[in-house]
Amino acid sequence: MITRRQLGAAAVAGIGASALRAPAIAQKRGGEVVVAQQAQPPSLDAQTTTAQASRNINLHIYETLFARDEAGNPMPDLAEGVDISADGLTYRFALRTGVRFHNGKVMDATDVKASLERYGKVGGSAFIMRPVDAIETPDARTVTVKLKEPYPGFIAGLSSPRAPCAIIPADEAVKEANRIEIIGTGPFRFVEYRPDSHVRLARFDGYTPNTNFRERDGFGGRKTAHFDAITIRFMPEAGARTAGLQTGELHVLEALAVPAAQRLRADRNIRTYEMIPWAFQTLMLNHAQGPTGNVAFRRAIQAALDLEEIMAISTDGLYRMTHGWQHPGTTYFAGEVGKELYNIKDQARARALLREAGYRNEEVIVLADSSFSNHKAAGEVTAEQLKAIGVNVRLVVLDWPSALNQRTRREGWHIWTLMLGIEPYEGPYGVVGFFSGHAPVQHERDPVIEDAQRRLTTSLAEADRKKAVADFQARMYDQAIAIKCGDVGIVQAARANVENYRPYRIPRMWDCWFA
Amino acid sequence: MLRYTLGRLVSAVPVLLVVSLVSFAIIALVPGDMASEMAGPSATAEELARLRTQLGLDKPIVERMLDWYAALLLRGDLGESVLLRQSVTAAILERLPVTLSLTFLALMVAILLGVLAGMIAAVRPNTWSDQGVMATALVGLSLPDFWLGLVFIWIFAVQLGWLPTGGYVPFAEDPLGWLRAMAMPAGCLALTQMGLLARITRASMLDVLRQDFVRTARAKGLPGWVVVAKHAGANVLVPVLTVAGVTTGILLGGAVVIEQVFSLPGVGRLIIGAIQRRDYPVIQGGLLLTASIFVAVNLVVDLLYAAVDPRVRYDRR
Repeated sequence: MITRRQLGAAAVAGIGASALRAPAIAQKRGGEVVVAQQAQPPSLDAQTTTAQASRNINLHIYETLFARDEAGNPMPDLAEGVDISADGLTYRFALRTGVRFHNGKVMDATDVKASLERYGKVGGSAFIMRPVDAIETPDARTVTVKLKEPYPGFIAGLSSPRAPCAIIPADEAVKEANRIEIIGTGPFRFVEYRPDSHVRLARFDGYTPNTNFRERDGFGGRKTAHFDAITIRFMPEAGARTAGLQTGELHVLEALAVPAAQRLRADRNIRTYEMIPWAFQTLMLNHAQGPTGNVAFRRAIQAALDLEEIMAISTDGLYRMTHGWQHPGTTYFAGEVGKELYNIKDQARARALLREAGYRNEEVIVLADSSFSNHKAAGEVTAEQLKAIGVNVRLVVLDWPSALNQRTRREGWHIWTLMLGIEPYEGPYGVVGFFSGHAPVQHERDPVIEDAQRRLTTSLAEADRKKAVADFQARMYDQAIAIKCGDVGIVQAARANVENYRPYRIPRMWDCWFA
Repeated sequence: MLRYTLGRLVSAVPVLLVVSLVSFAIIALVPGDMASEMAGPSATAEELARLRTQLGLDKPIVERMLDWYAALLLRGDLGESVLLRQSVTAAILERLPVTLSLTFLALMVAILLGVLAGMIAAVRPNTWSDQGVMATALVGLSLPDFWLGLVFIWIFAVQLGWLPTGGYVPFAEDPLGWLRAMAMPAGCLALTQMGLLARITRASMLDVLRQDFVRTARAKGLPGWVVVAKHAGANVLVPVLTVAGVTTGILLGGAVVIEQVFSLPGVGRLIIGAIQRRDYPVIQGGLLLTASIFVAVNLVVDLLYAAVDPRVRYDRR
């Protein structure tokens, strides 16, 4: 079931379907587009940071061997493609020719080798390079990566925008984290960074578009920079960002609060763009101690909660009720598995499960944070709903670093409200990995999930990996390992004179222009 | 005067020491650290422990504190921001002109308009103009500055289109642009303090206007505005100066919020960001700097007493 408020005729829902549609209007070159985002980037060394505030900027400057398409699937970007050996141990990347860095140097295999090696040392997701045994450069256009053991998630990791495995010049790649010159191959080059104020980028006129594609596609495809320059301003106050869009000082907002989007519906100068799914809203459960260590109690929570009420309140109405631990339409979506246990809202069954669990009014701590309004609201609604079935709930609201710190402990929390954004976009590896390994979020390893994780990360056949994800999802529901509430959406917004804008994981400023 | 000034500067050292000790203690008590923030939600306890070791957060608080004092005393170094990857001194100096110019502009506006409003109210006590000025002053005092900031943005940027919604333009680059960027934030800050200054000025002025020397000045046939502006006005300056000193501290505190609302890259925003992300060296350095400014302002106010009131002397005789 899909439930969401309509935000106006201009709203564009979903992703993917329109990606291949050619622009019907004339493209214009020139102008300086001003984008506003809440936070400033912790770093412009793309490899090192997983922050969304950095991604918004860095993915205009840097590119990767493989990127993600509009639907989130890996696609070649700086590579023409990859040949993977039958044993899954050798990846042979053919590089695109004539690609220039912003310093004028032509990218070759030594740059790629040095960048991958650096990523293994300083990368925000450096674990993707752990299976790598050797990187060879048989010629200037070819890079061969040899693995110690099969790792089918290698291309997914290389193509993830989370902490992009950016290709930078070899002489920069020898530098420590955050000590590099900001030089990439992307359609825009770095100009200046003023902390707490803005970053300015300019069109890279030496950019080599990927002619293997007709137009932009996710973070890849054929990218064309039309704007002369981009200024990305850091504005912490949401009301000021909205006002800036209204006055025309700002042209694009990375996110607009849903009530503000509804208020601006009548403004013909502004277009709002819904994007669903953006993230999962979840309730993580601590299996290490207290009532949530008991599967019958966890099942009682799963049976009791009205997840739609949680979603409606915590997202201001922009949500989608889906049970999957992968997004529908993606390769690893597991279909109907577990759906019969999703959002059943059966309080009688919940009370019976509480009796079965032998619950004796022990305190249950719901941990939330005040830094993300969704987290706090989801915590409040969950707490009230659990009180209604007789659970002794205490809601603890901390700030984000404190909540993160608290949840790493085995004691002091039972339910933790968390939005997972980039992990489900990346695919199954991050999501399954969250609940497996030597320190799963629930603090107790589950043998079925461990096995699913092992099969996902080692099976060479895609069908086997899909089966592993389906088994993971079945176990998540059967054992109530954690609760998925639903899919959260966001609204991006632009002035009406920004033509051909399409919402995505970042506000992409290529392939759009001023009317 | 010099001896007094030096004495005050020496007495500021224990004040700053207490400030830094208290801030260290608060930081130690607050849960969560920059390792949690940097590692993100999927981090394991082991990854966090490794990151804490890398960042030196696994050291006992006393050891970290002694390291910090040693660097400060031996090298005049406030440490290095982990998240900004630059020295705390440089980060603060980069942003200081924004905060100081905002505070100074707000203070000037608050003093000029506050004192003027107070004087107008005092010369016509218990009239409509007095009631009007005092009611307006009370409204200004009562409004939270973040709310006032958003209302200002809505009126002056969205509805009238006169001023930008936020951002900063350095004075050296474009003086007019600087003034336009600072007008709303400084106006907001000033409005909240103007009321206090108006009320103090009115009360002091009413008191002074009853003094014999004012009666004498009037008896000499001096025009009313000369009596008020020159003779009475000079005597109102001391209490106003005292309040202005306190106001400067309040404005510095208010600048933290206003910088957030108007996206100004000042010290307040630096400290707020550092608190949110637990960047301890920046919090420590920022608080020490704020306390130093406060101490300096109080010293300047005390020295100004002597300048405006000949009866005040700091020299020993």
